[in-house]
Amino acid sequence: MLSSSTDNELVARAVSGQDTAAFGELIRRHQSHVRNFLRKLAGDYTLADDLAQDCFMHAWDKLQSYSGRGSFIGWLLKVAYTTFLQSKRKSKRYAEILESAGQVADQESRSAVHPNDEVSDLDKYLAVLTEEERAIMVMSYACGLSHREIGDATDMPVGTVKSVIFRGKEKIRNSFEIKDHQHG
Amino acid sequence: MKSKIINMAEKIKDAEDRLLESLFESPPLADDGFSAAVVRKVNRQLWFRRLTLPVATAIGAAIAFKPLAALVSTLANFSALIPEDIVIGATSSIPQFQTIVLGAILLVVGLVSMRMLEH
Repeated sequence: MLSSSTDNELVARAVSGQDTAAFGELIRRHQSHVRNFLRKLAGDYTLADDLAQDCFMHAWDKLQSYSGRGSFIGWLLKVAYTTFLQSKRKSKRYAEILESAGQVADQESRSAVHPNDEVSDLDKYLAVLTEEERAIMVMSYACGLSHREIGDATDMPVGTVKSVIFRGKEKIRNSFEIKDHQHG
Repeated sequence: MKSKIINMAEKIKDAEDRLLESLFESPPLADDGFSAAVVRKVNRQLWFRRLTLPVATAIGAAIAFKPLAALVSTLANFSALIPEDIVIGATSSIPQFQTIVLGAILLVVGLVSMRMLEH
């Protein structure tokens, strides 16, 4: 029954009757996109999965604000991106407190141990991009959102989204000569 | 019409776009209890929110009980000091005074209950 409902029907059920089963079905449908999006942004799988849980908790609280105008995954990625930025700000503040307490060296030595020792091609490409470019490129090329949906998710005009994508592509192209790859 | 043209333009992808798509592509992640864990958290949060108001009311009532009892006994002592003919005069000028007070209390309680149910 739930699996045959559309996203908007499930949202309506979850909002009107506080139906957590309907919300559970929404999570099952979209968890892969959200977790993959956050993994690419955060670069740390454990942190990304924690952020994904926080994202869905925020989504539950804000579900009434989803108007049904755009796609639900677009709205969800907006919540995920906001959650990611909030967590970044918090960890920045935490790092500042540590720095003022003189513990930064210890923290750096711990964070240097990355869970994924193998650096993929994608990690290399993402490394040359700014945080904003990374988020927009991932939304476009990994999640398949339209420029309009990305604009809604990032609160940017469509023209700005297009220019960020153009800039991101140019950076990747210049850093890795992607055109040469493409032609063999 | 204009938006249709924009959508068409978006759909026209060059080889570079397709290459980027294949690079950014990730295999779908298995749920592995992820959604169940989030739903459990949501349910916990719901119960917590539902319990907060009654628990806060009970704690507030427990704290307020002693001073309230003292206030009632003071008022009772004070009313004993009022001459009887004044009390009889007040109740006779408003014959259904007790019914009006009871009605007002019931109205307030009803409104508060409706509000709580709505929430």
